[in-house]
Amino acid sequence: MSAASQPAIAAGFRVLVHATDPARREAMRKLVIDAGHLPVDSPLAADVVLSDQVHAGFAAMPEHGGQCLFTPRELEVLGAIGDGLSNKMIARRLDISPHTVKFHVESLLRKLGARTRAEAVAKAHEHRLSNTVEL
Amino acid sequence: MTELIERFSSELAARTAALQGAVAAIRLPRERHVSAIVWQGGAVIASEQSLPEREEFDLVLPGGAEATARLAGRDAGTNIAALRLSQPAAPPVLAPGEAQAGALALALGADGAGGVSARLGLVNLAGPQWHSLAGGLIDRRIALDLRLARAEEGGPVFSAAGAFLGMSTLGPRARVLVIPSATLERIVPLLLKDGRVARGWLGVALHPVAVPDALREQAGQPSGLMVMSLVQDGPAAKAGVVPGDIVLSVNGAQALGFRRIAAQLAAESIGRTAALRIVRGGSVLSLDAVLGMRPAA
Repeated sequence: MSAASQPAIAAGFRVLVHATDPARREAMRKLVIDAGHLPVDSPLAADVVLSDQVHAGFAAMPEHGGQCLFTPRELEVLGAIGDGLSNKMIARRLDISPHTVKFHVESLLRKLGARTRAEAVAKAHEHRLSNTVEL
Repeated sequence: MTELIERFSSELAARTAALQGAVAAIRLPRERHVSAIVWQGGAVIASEQSLPEREEFDLVLPGGAEATARLAGRDAGTNIAALRLSQPAAPPVLAPGEAQAGALALALGADGAGGVSARLGLVNLAGPQWHSLAGGLIDRRIALDLRLARAEEGGPVFSAAGAFLGMSTLGPRARVLVIPSATLERIVPLLLKDGRVARGWLGVALHPVAVPDALREQAGQPSGLMVMSLVQDGPAAKAGVVPGDIVLSVNGAQALGFRRIAAQLAAESIGRTAALRIVRGGSVLSLDAVLGMRPAA
């Protein structure tokens, strides 16, 4: 993980870029981070974790058979939690009622088996890293 | 009993000595090295993930002779890199064999000075074919019950009978995997000939998500793969896909997992049109993408 990717990481959403070629990694990173390439109205504030995979090991393509998946809305709420927002602030950002936010947060905690918001963010990050595939 | 153990031990040592002509070292910066297999026809093969981005490599051949080799091609999908030696070598003929769970496996590595290091363990797992994260198809899932130093990755693995099972590779959490001899025989000629292995490409990073309840009936499936990012001017981008779209199917294959989609991206798919069914903004729509070729590494 390079220092250059730090500001984006704060946004809470991550896209793992798998590439051994540094030039291609950098190109991918720019692509995802440049606001112009990620439409402002995109439901995702994506950021990028750089990986040269050298220390990760040769891994299998993940399969997500029976596990709980998040809905797109839950992913947005998760990103907002990662930004340190309260339920009230999340409601304002996503233009939904605080009651609905609370519902999504509870669902997230349940699916992740997390007791706190911080734990949810950490677990979700791990989940995201191991379950994003370039095709 | 003592005799049996002694015989077992000396047989292993003899086998190691007989096969060490297949093991070379590829030099890395800072006095480090990784292992490689001396292949027929003046080629050397290694673990793709263990090699830095370079075209020329310095090698130590079996016996200690120094040599140079040029990268012929690398395939991250199957973790195989092929190099061409600048001078001929005379490796022993490797007779391929099938791994069997519970059988002994002898993994050889290079010591960096022309000799070998050896590891003995069980074939922990000998399963069916699998897809790597990088999109390659590996003919069998073979894992070994032994540890391997980083410098030993890329060396040959043999059965107790001396049959060549494949190339050692470090998996997640340093688990030792074997790229089967069948996969090597399939991929190495392609790398030597074309310098790469062609694969179809959408140019997207995908993450599984649940389809929102309101759309589940229309979508006809409980989950899909959300577009987290896409390569500018890549096949999906050209087709009008934007981040946040949820891919439901590609050519009718439901995006319930990555493997089904990866299976739609074989070499033959390059240049063909793929029908994408996606969810965007509360409705289901169809887009056609002309599949490209996955860039190297």
